[in-house]
Amino acid sequence: MARLIVWRLARTLVAVWALASLVFLLSYRDRNTATELALPDAADLRSRHNATNPAGQLATRQAIQHRLGLDRPLFYVSRLAASPPSGVQWHWNGRHNQYHRWAVQLLHGNMGTSFRTGQPVAARLREALAMTLPLTGTAALLAVLAALALAVRLAAAPWWQRPVRAALVAVHAMPLFVLALALLFVFANPEVLAWFPAYGLDQDTELSSGQWLATYLLHLVLPGATLALAALPELALQLEASLVQELHAGYVATARAKGLPENAIIRRHALRNALLPSLSQLAELLPALVAGALVVEVVFALPGMGRLLAEAAAARDYPVLVGGVLLVGVARLLALLLADLLYLWTDPRIRWQS
Amino acid sequence: MRLPNQAAIDANNLLHVSLLHTDITKAAFVPALAEALPAVQLVGDSLTRLTYSLRPAATWDDGQPVLAQDILFTLKLMFCPGLPNEAARNQYRFIRNILPDPANARRFVVECRGQAPEYVQASGDFFILPEHVLDPRGWLRRLSLAQLRNPPPGPAPDTALQAVAQRYRAETALGHLPGCGPYQLVKWEKDHYLSFRRKAHWWADLLRPAPLVLQARPRRLTYAVIPNAASATLALQRGELDLYPQMPAPEFARLQASPTARKKLTFHSTPSYDVVVAGFNTRHSTLADAPTRRALGQLFDAAGLLRATQLGSGQRTVGIISPSDSANYNDTLTPLPFSPEGGAALLRQAGWQQSNVPEPGWFRRGPNGARERLRLVLRYRAEEALFATIALQFQSVAAKLGIPVVLQPTEAGAFTMALHGGDFDMYVRTLRGNPFMFNFVPILHSLGVGEDNTTGFSTPGSDHLIEAIAAAGTKTRRAQLLRQFQALLQREMPLVPLFFLPNRVVVSRRLRGVYVGSIKPGYSVAAASPLASQPPN
Repeated sequence: MARLIVWRLARTLVAVWALASLVFLLSYRDRNTATELALPDAADLRSRHNATNPAGQLATRQAIQHRLGLDRPLFYVSRLAASPPSGVQWHWNGRHNQYHRWAVQLLHGNMGTSFRTGQPVAARLREALAMTLPLTGTAALLAVLAALALAVRLAAAPWWQRPVRAALVAVHAMPLFVLALALLFVFANPEVLAWFPAYGLDQDTELSSGQWLATYLLHLVLPGATLALAALPELALQLEASLVQELHAGYVATARAKGLPENAIIRRHALRNALLPSLSQLAELLPALVAGALVVEVVFALPGMGRLLAEAAAARDYPVLVGGVLLVGVARLLALLLADLLYLWTDPRIRWQS
Repeated sequence: MRLPNQAAIDANNLLHVSLLHTDITKAAFVPALAEALPAVQLVGDSLTRLTYSLRPAATWDDGQPVLAQDILFTLKLMFCPGLPNEAARNQYRFIRNILPDPANARRFVVECRGQAPEYVQASGDFFILPEHVLDPRGWLRRLSLAQLRNPPPGPAPDTALQAVAQRYRAETALGHLPGCGPYQLVKWEKDHYLSFRRKAHWWADLLRPAPLVLQARPRRLTYAVIPNAASATLALQRGELDLYPQMPAPEFARLQASPTARKKLTFHSTPSYDVVVAGFNTRHSTLADAPTRRALGQLFDAAGLLRATQLGSGQRTVGIISPSDSANYNDTLTPLPFSPEGGAALLRQAGWQQSNVPEPGWFRRGPNGARERLRLVLRYRAEEALFATIALQFQSVAAKLGIPVVLQPTEAGAFTMALHGGDFDMYVRTLRGNPFMFNFVPILHSLGVGEDNTTGFSTPGSDHLIEAIAAAGTKTRRAQLLRQFQALLQREMPLVPLFFLPNRVVVSRRLRGVYVGSIKPGYSVAAASPLASQPPN
């Protein structure tokens, strides 16, 4: 088992490195857009009183590329621009290239600095994760617990099974921004119910720690509820369907024949088997925890991972983008590994086959 | 010193003071750190000398006076290698030197290359940093501005320069960059909020009377970053915000219609200097002639678009000079009419003929004799509903005339590159201006082709006129030239000016003393105070 884990981990590391390298090479290839976006907006005439000299513009671009390290060749080899039509000619750049510098820095634990803010990428990711993880973590936990409770009850076919299923399907079909705005307009609207704040988390630097925590939790309610509600239907409906299928199995008939009550059959016998398909769903939650929830972050003005990565992509802030992809990639591949290991652990049949 | 957007400019104006600031109530540059507007001396025909005197009361937080050496140091810092000031270097390259007065440490001359009325504003429009804090050993004094501007070719900059740059970077990273402005940065979370606290003692508190640009009444200011308009509107209604600038038209109208909101909020709408334009790629043979561009310009229903997108506010215009700028706006011209029939007639005059062979559309002989078809690719930034509405209106009217228009909503970065690369037939975007700067060289001169002159338009006549405007000696002469320029643009029509956008600001009734105006950011809270409390003495 240990050898298997080590082997899988090694494979995961190689896959993460390949993913990050690919994103690095594809994104940094477009260095001109990054340079243009670092210049003042051409449509802003207010600051253009003297920025008219083409030579000056060229020098500005070169200086920006030099500062951002984009003036080096991208990779160890590059194609010569003046290649003859008969064939492509390649040039060996040695170690003086952007990829080598990035890789060496990364191996030393340095993810680089943001093009936009000049801050270390690791610090920016840490700040965003500090915002995202409590939110997505709480939402995921709530969604899993609610899905378990709901699926177990739904599987017993109560009278409210159909309307609740219909409601779950309706919520599942609803776009996330509609769900977020609906909660916002109902629960943060002074013309309906002004129970919760409309945006942000904590901004008051003069609160005591107790007040700060209370304010923080109050701000977390609506975004957390949105994410939990969005994740709940898929988890609950899948688990309920799986439970219903298990309830037709032979061992359940035996349990019923022994006179066990239906609730006990579901909880003690069917649930463990029914949970197997849900393991991969649970594993999927891990990268989602790290990647953040862009829509909810935009609606509730939260500076989390989703917005960080989306804005880094829009602003061509490649160090942040590549750092974020690396982090989310690690989470996703670890989640897949975790799911595999959980299957091996919970189901002896899979263990035996492997 | 790199100020990428308006929010950064607003934040820095709280921490730092420039020689001159814009006064929103006067729509003009007024003295801030400077005692008065500079005295202008034209030397020959290629040099301008601007003499400034700093306010005697101006001091840094440690009590040290703000001196001419600080101005010189700030400008040198812009050219210091290793700092993200590349755009500023290009922007302030027109300043040849700063000459401190040996007899008066607060007096200095800014020596500028060339002559232009805009130099008065441009020379005072950067915030000043303290030399004694960032360069206590005076490393930069050893180098002249010219040496810094044109460094000798070499692998690495001077170690002294690196030390100054490193000190600046360290102070910036910690948010401790010292300034002589009224506020200190308390906390900054990127994409979340900025919080400022008023200094207990600020040098400008002693000024009597204090000009608006040197007032700072709020004890604490917090700027929240709220990307979603609905959330920001709710936060304003709930009293979590006191002021919402540049509110979108639907939210503004919805709040104005609500009796509850009207009790809590006041609504302001002023003209802005942001004009929405459609641009043509004049390098394409189909769009190289003015009659075709004028014909297509008549397919935009500017009045209808104003009603649909701005709910009636905003101003139609004849050009890219705001109608609010009565001295320079050419009111003898009339805005381009919305007339598909007139457009079709103009197309015929331009040599286009409707034909069904080989397919229905408009055709004419191109410059190389080949038959060309009038079909257009229109680009705009994907996330802007305003641009999408304009593009759809144009497409629908063009389709009725038989002109196929392909809409290409484009992501912002890709849009910038497409415009630079000429990968479009038409585009829609906003040009942001102000009532001070009239230099159209970057966007409409032949020098800007391949750079920011995205339409590729230039003629010897237009180049000459643009140069004359930039160098006009008096405001009257400049106004005459600007009027000619608007007439020329309407004739040649590389850009179709659609309308000037309104600036909508909603303010809580709890605040008094908030000024709203046309110049960015569109409001001033310098003199604002809560209704219940008394202003500080």
